Amino acid sequence: MVENRPFLTFLTHLVLIAGVVIVVFPVYLAFIASTHGPGQFVSGLVPLLPGPHLVENYSTIWNEGLSSSGAPPIWVMMMNSLLMAVAIAVGKIAISLLSAYAIVYFKFPFRLLAFWIIFITLMLPVEVRIIPTFAVVANLGMLNSYQGLILPLIASATATFLFRQFFLTIPDELMEAARVDGAGPMKFFRDILLPLSRTNIAALFVILFIFGWVQYMWPLLVTSDSRYYTIVMGIKRLAASADSEPLWHLVMAAVILAMLPPVLVVIFMQRLFVKGLVETEK
Amino acid sequence: MATISLIDLMKSYGDIPAVKGVNLDVADGELIVLVGPSGCGKSTLLRMVAGLETVTSGSIEIGGRNVVKAEPAERDIAMVFQNYALYPHMTVRGNLEYGLKNRGTPREEINRRVREAADILEIGALLDRKPRQLSGGQRQRVAMGRAIVREPAAFLFDEPLSNLDAKLRVQMRVEIRKLQRRLKTTSLYVTHDQLEAMTLADRLVVMNSGLVEQIGTPTEVYDRPATLFVAGFIGSPPMNLIPVSSLSGNEVSAGLPSGTDIVGIRPDAFVLEQPAEPSLALEASVELLEPIGGESHLHVRLNSSGQSIVLSVPGRPEIAEVSDIVVHARLADLHPFSAQTGRRADNP
Ligand SMILES: Nc1ncnc2c1ncn2[C@@H]1O[C@H](COP(=O)(O)OP(=O)(O)OP(=O)(O)O)[C@@H](O)[C@H]1O
Ligand SMILES: [Mg+2]
Repeated sequence: MVENRPFLTFLTHLVLIAGVVIVVFPVYLAFIASTHGPGQFVSGLVPLLPGPHLVENYSTIWNEGLSSSGAPPIWVMMMNSLLMAVAIAVGKIAISLLSAYAIVYFKFPFRLLAFWIIFITLMLPVEVRIIPTFAVVANLGMLNSYQGLILPLIASATATFLFRQFFLTIPDELMEAARVDGAGPMKFFRDILLPLSRTNIAALFVILFIFGWVQYMWPLLVTSDSRYYTIVMGIKRLAASADSEPLWHLVMAAVILAMLPPVLVVIFMQRLFVKGLVETEK
Repeated sequence: MATISLIDLMKSYGDIPAVKGVNLDVADGELIVLVGPSGCGKSTLLRMVAGLETVTSGSIEIGGRNVVKAEPAERDIAMVFQNYALYPHMTVRGNLEYGLKNRGTPREEINRRVREAADILEIGALLDRKPRQLSGGQRQRVAMGRAIVREPAAFLFDEPLSNLDAKLRVQMRVEIRKLQRRLKTTSLYVTHDQLEAMTLADRLVVMNSGLVEQIGTPTEVYDRPATLFVAGFIGSPPMNLIPVSSLSGNEVSAGLPSGTDIVGIRPDAFVLEQPAEPSLALEASVELLEPIGGESHLHVRLNSSGQSIVLSVPGRPEIAEVSDIVVHARLADLHPFSAQTGRRADNP
């Protein structure tokens, strides 16, 4: 595959650049839109260069939001989303680490059954079980609360499965050596399994954070009080103001802000993330 | 330092027996090598002593204490694994210290022991490296170090050298022997390499399909194999086992113990000229001559029965392949066996 032909090099770069442009262009447009005044975008002619209203638009949407759409200021929604995404990611990782540990390292009755039950829930994503879940959450009085937003999304078959697969690749002798060295089950978990899973945890955190951040349907269902709105569902509300044209410049500013945290998480955890996907420290 | 006793030790996996009743007394400071073909239960036996495998029946005593129900950590043993099982995320120092820390050994004591072990094994310069930054031989040393720092009652080795190349294996074998002599720690050592077994062992335990075939010093086992299995297993090339019936023309049966129907003759017990002592002579045709340095292996087929046997003769004899020769062996060098019992016929 490593061929040194200028034409091929040119071609591959062309394809890559075209790909990047296709992906980046809408984002660029959103950014441009967020820097112009209210009238610009509905006039039909879409500007391609930044306008003069950047600071003004962002501070409006950040601090005040759009009163007409009944959504709170963006910073409230961002905080809600952040809390939800982090809690979901941390919760999912904690629970699935522990359940994978139990399934792989302990012999207990119905161990295989337990594994298969967890595995089967993989086939039932939130959307499928959303009505019963909603009923349960409502009956528990968790509508319009952070628990209601977070708890139902924490159980995770995928992460359990991933950790199980990873634990299975760790040689048994490591556990045996630890036993001979006087490490009990919790010590083994803390001193050996956790550090070895570090990169996997980081990779999973990125994925799960984004999963939590982009939740749309569930927050829409369980929150009616605007104090608990999350950013992704909030944007939809901003755009859907009933009686007037949407204020696209402000909506776009909200969109850009909503994109930031996942991007930051990816950038800061990229090193660990890539490591977790391509190599295991063994 | 301690003695180890195995009493009627058995292990079955479900219905399948892996170890079928082993009795063994290991003296304080002794190095016992368990040797046998693959699947004969050596590892299972060792892992039972370590406490990593439950015991089906029988008992294990370390230092006079029955440890069958004890956790591995409570048995005061240290184990060296075939794949070393170093903790990949800890430095060499971390690996050495881990067991001591878990036991609540004071810091100064830990430092002293790590320093000592590092000196003995010459891994002082590697203490801050991670296992993946080490060569196979260095990892092996660290694995040994992890056992030494614990200053346990017994070392358990499960084929610790089988992942090394041949040259390093010989070198480490010598080092393990020296180290064990110096520390005088009771040791059980599993290998399927009989050269390793012969050179390391104070006493050898030859196992076959879950049973002990023979226990003895390497010389005893080599000079007087107790069973047909041991005769065929120990020694390279293996002992030739020839049915008495195909010794036609030789007046040997009178000199052999009653019940003998197979005689074992080591390849190097054969000579090409008739010796002065009483001997037997066999007519054979040469099939292949393999020079292997100082000696040669001569593959011949007996004229009487068509059986192929191997001789090892010094130097490079001038013998054409496909020629007929007569080979001799002193009667004193014959090992009499009974095919029926599979055991030596001249055992008291
Ligand atoms: N967990 C297990 N379940 C069922 N059978 C097992 C298990 N572990 C080992 N055995 C069986 O027990 C027998 C002895 O195995 P063991 O590992 O002790 O052999 P070994 O002498 O160490 O062989 P090798 O030289 O190949 O390591 C084998 O027949 C093996 O198939
Ligand atoms: Mg083995």
